[in-house]
Amino acid sequence: MATQSASLSLRLRPHLAPILFIAPAGVALLLLMAVPIADAVLLSLQNWNGMGPPTWAGLGNYTKLLSDETFFRALGHTAYFTFCTVILQTILPLLAASLLNSGIRGSSVFRTLYFMPVVISLAISGLLWAMLFEPNFGPINNFLRAIGLRAYTPLWLAGQNSVMPSVIIVSVWQSFGFYLVIFFAALQNVPRELYEAAELDGANAWSRFLNVTVPTIWPVTLIVIVLNTINGIKVFDQIWVMTAGGPNYASATLATYLYSIAFGAMGASNSRLGYATAIAIVILMLSVVVSLIQIRLGRRRNLDSELEL
Amino acid sequence: MTISGPAALLTSGSSREVAYSWWPANLTRTLIYVILLTIVIVEAFPLAWMIITSVKDSHEIFNTVLPSQIKWENYPRVWHALDFPVHLGNSLYVTGLTVGLILVLATPAAYAFARYRFPGREVVFYAFIGAMMIPPQAILIPMFQFLKSLHLLNSLTGLSLSYVGGGTAFAVFLMRAFFLSLPRELGDSARIDGCNDFQVFRHIYLPLARPGIATVVIIQSLHTWNEFMFSNTLITSPDKKTVQSAVFQAVGQYSTDYTALCTGLIIALIPVVLVYIALQRQFISGLTAGALKG
Repeated sequence: MATQSASLSLRLRPHLAPILFIAPAGVALLLLMAVPIADAVLLSLQNWNGMGPPTWAGLGNYTKLLSDETFFRALGHTAYFTFCTVILQTILPLLAASLLNSGIRGSSVFRTLYFMPVVISLAISGLLWAMLFEPNFGPINNFLRAIGLRAYTPLWLAGQNSVMPSVIIVSVWQSFGFYLVIFFAALQNVPRELYEAAELDGANAWSRFLNVTVPTIWPVTLIVIVLNTINGIKVFDQIWVMTAGGPNYASATLATYLYSIAFGAMGASNSRLGYATAIAIVILMLSVVVSLIQIRLGRRRNLDSELEL
Repeated sequence: MTISGPAALLTSGSSREVAYSWWPANLTRTLIYVILLTIVIVEAFPLAWMIITSVKDSHEIFNTVLPSQIKWENYPRVWHALDFPVHLGNSLYVTGLTVGLILVLATPAAYAFARYRFPGREVVFYAFIGAMMIPPQAILIPMFQFLKSLHLLNSLTGLSLSYVGGGTAFAVFLMRAFFLSLPRELGDSARIDGCNDFQVFRHIYLPLARPGIATVVIIQSLHTWNEFMFSNTLITSPDKKTVQSAVFQAVGQYSTDYTALCTGLIIALIPVVLVYIALQRQFISGLTAGALKG
């Protein structure tokens, strides 16, 4: 035993420096990430109200999810939000970035302005938009009434059917500049000769966009899609500050639903922490799957060399 | 060739592509500007409305577009009513501590992953990458219990700790790529001159890593300053709230006093916006680089 550990320390001796360099971060990661994750998995297999001792539930929480109508509504809203934001937050920034890249003056001014909402927190932009959307005296409906569209003033966040589109509008407003900047950088790297060659072949602007621009920047487009998907799966802040998942769960997502079960809108009295954690594990699984896809894609791109170990 | 002029909007604005007799050449350019300016209006309107509302008299909020007179008094009123000095201080403390801890932990680790070969490197590095995929919701409830057991619930230091795991993983990933881009020879020659491992890191590579560190500082500061879910959950007493959850609480207090709410949001935004204006370029490139690499 003693000789074994002696030989181990002898073998590690030349690697002492990297081990010491990595140890602090490794310990932090273990305590603040690995242990909580293991805890979460364990907790999702238990029933616990946060006070007394937890009781073992096995897969009970997960089977309960399968018959929980609100869970499926939340899952549906999460999918809806993710789908719409992936489409809108890819196509709109890409088109606008193409316009910015068309050789006009002042493109950096436009980029700076568009990027502004990106640095604003999701919570603050949610609170701001909650005021803008106020149906009776908020500025958006006031404007619609002023231009004679009184009949088309939606309830926005207060309406069962209008709440999800409203939430999506806020998301697009907030992140437009972020994805635009990413696309703009990618477009700047498309070789001019490709366009010139296509032009000589008689391709018009639209077909050059489809046949030169889109394929060339496809790797970046995939990253944008993946980022949007991951953010969609996790969406919480804006929705919680605007509606807390309401009205009547019409904007509940996985994250807001788990949050209202665990902590309640005003600090729940009988929180079901095990059940809430089971939903957290579902979010975890979904994010990990998408992240693995992202790594795959990154590999194929240029991280090949960067990730070689 | 069936081409419609406006399609020319979508690619380079060379003059040739808009040479259709029915489509004036400079109309394309004008149209591009009109579209881009429309987007500016859409993006800026909420912010402009917020600023205008913040200086209105409270009984003017809903009746007029522009205020009859500018009332700056709202700012000192809300500044004191919402205890902003306290909350700004709290956010500053949490952000500073979090970013500091992450840098201290992540920089040497990133350096070691980039510069050394040792048994188990791949496995450990993949563990770091794996940690980056963890959505915050997954650790919220265990973190709550963990901090409670350490008596760090409702503590700003505890809140910082809750950010350190994910932040460190991300910072290691970003900075490792940066260290890989630095020439290996520098360290080798320093070693020949008699530097030990720590000195090579401290005196040769650390000074060179400043741009990488700056990127991490920008991304992590913004992320920590703006974080809402953990700060709203792990902090319960009003005097310990960060800016984000303090303004969220204020909504209940002010409900339809939009003047006060807008003023509060603006005060909450000012630190971030000032830093953004001062460091636009670094912000934009840092945040997008973080997204592309992470």
